[in-house]
Amino acid sequence: MQKETCVHEKEPCVYEDVELQREARVRKKACIKKEAYLEKEPGIPDVGYVQKKAPGQKEVDILKKAPGQKEVDILKKAPGQNEAYIKQRTWQEKIPVFRQPIIYLQKYGKFLGTFNRAGLFLLLFFLCMALLPSFFAPYSPAERFTPYEAPSVSHFLGTNDIGNDILSELFYGARISMMVGFASACISTLIGLTIGLLSGYFRGWVDELLMGFTDVVLILPKIPLIIILGAFLHPSVWILILVLGLLSWESLARIVRAKTLQIRESGYVKSARGMGFSPFHIMSTDIIPNIVHVVLPKFMLATASAMISEASLSFLGLGDTSMKSWGMMLSFAFSRGGFIREMWWWYMPPGLCITLCVMAIALVGFGFEPKAGDTEKQVVDI
Amino acid sequence: MSLKIKNLSKKYGAGLFSEGTEIFREVSFTLEAGKTFGLMGPSGVGKSTLGRITAGLEKPTDGDVFYKETSIFGLAGAERTAFRRKVQLMFQDPTDAFNPRKKIDRSIFEILKLIKIPEPERPDKTRTMLETIGLSEEVLSRFPAQLSGGQLQRLALGRILLLEPAFIVLDEPTSALDVSVQAQVLHLLKQVQEKWRIGYLLISHDEAIINFMSDSRGLLENGKLRVLD
Repeated sequence: MQKETCVHEKEPCVYEDVELQREARVRKKACIKKEAYLEKEPGIPDVGYVQKKAPGQKEVDILKKAPGQKEVDILKKAPGQNEAYIKQRTWQEKIPVFRQPIIYLQKYGKFLGTFNRAGLFLLLFFLCMALLPSFFAPYSPAERFTPYEAPSVSHFLGTNDIGNDILSELFYGARISMMVGFASACISTLIGLTIGLLSGYFRGWVDELLMGFTDVVLILPKIPLIIILGAFLHPSVWILILVLGLLSWESLARIVRAKTLQIRESGYVKSARGMGFSPFHIMSTDIIPNIVHVVLPKFMLATASAMISEASLSFLGLGDTSMKSWGMMLSFAFSRGGFIREMWWWYMPPGLCITLCVMAIALVGFGFEPKAGDTEKQVVDI
Repeated sequence: MSLKIKNLSKKYGAGLFSEGTEIFREVSFTLEAGKTFGLMGPSGVGKSTLGRITAGLEKPTDGDVFYKETSIFGLAGAERTAFRRKVQLMFQDPTDAFNPRKKIDRSIFEILKLIKIPEPERPDKTRTMLETIGLSEEVLSRFPAQLSGGQLQRLALGRILLLEPAFIVLDEPTSALDVSVQAQVLHLLKQVQEKWRIGYLLISHDEAIINFMSDSRGLLENGKLRVLD
């Protein structure tokens, strides 16, 4: 018994047996970690061993724990309330759209680091810009003033070649740029998710066919193809969204397929199949919720890369001239003398906006990625 | 009522250009209602594959499984669904048995919905099931990760019992549990068998468990099944 508890002591335990010594070291490390977590609360001994015990013994330990610890908080329910629970959920949990985020936030409340939080604020700022440009913009984007004006109090970023206020253009351009990004990411995520799910779940010839198709799309040179398509088709934002969306789903499809193959072999999917649930039910409630953490970061990255593609295509003059995005603004600044006249207030802001917005989206995307060891189990055990 | 397994053979990786690897050949035995057939054998010999084929989740290369004198691989539509419910599987790893994203009540209610139990009756059904497996209603409000291995394995059994199966394939049901919980689960399995006359195909490499549970035993070795008694 003395030997068992000696992990609490400051001195290292000395065992003759090398194995025992190694074990004691490991136990001591675990104990020190645990003590730090419990803020050195004296009354609770050896909680560090809970995770090491066999699965069958866990519930006893959990119940024994002092109040104020995490397990009790997670349940948030008195034992007497259970009957009511069977009959009804809380109103938030009844609405499917709310349920998952609530559960997610309850568990992974600290899922965004400080850096990612900065990304979130930036993204929110750009989203506000995109949704309510008229609220921020001092003038309408079509209103005309003196051309080539330098920044002044009435025009913070000056005016362009035809006298439009550049600041207003910038705010209105956010909507186009972000719409292209998000819409084409939606299309590519939908296609990638569907193809990945189908080929991973059904395997066999479905898998071979769909993955063969994916490989073909994967080796297509994207930008040259988009340039050719953009040149042949009438340049418009909608065509751009469609083309970008239809050509950027392959990597997601492959990732989703790999994850689906893995989850398909888990006990819950096998028993669901054995019970006769439909493939649609299994895919939508068992597989998709378990791959969301893979799909969400990919979605954000697809948005970012679509925005960059849109900007480069617009800069090449393949965008829609009637809908001025940030890339289009850059293109005009280049072709209408902004660069030659060194009007930095014309070409710098849209470039900066693209960079910051793409960075913000990517940072938020990284925030969705599960951290190492961020599994369900550890969240509960803490 | 019985489940007859006749001359089953299974090959993996057979195709146009390859022979494939033979896992086992011409395996025959019969599962009787209310009886347990214990299937032993070393690792990797195809015990679990045999279990999955018996439950109709996988197709054999050769041979057939007969349920109520009809081949289960020829079934389609409603008959197939009915068979699926009558022969159920229980797996080794209890932590893997429930979707980690669903609370237990949701997992259970989905099954009740699947077998078309009207909504007002669902809480009662759930309560009866929990009484059978000896767990409190508190478990319903938890996520699988908040329950112990023993609790989850009981729930996995309870979930299967909701479907009122005639046969259950138990694929190493206790090897992930520690000894005291193993005994509890095995006793529970025995109780359930006596109450509903369910036939078990018990797959295990632990001879003690097989001897404790089985009415007849078989040893799968070198691709052949030897029925011991």
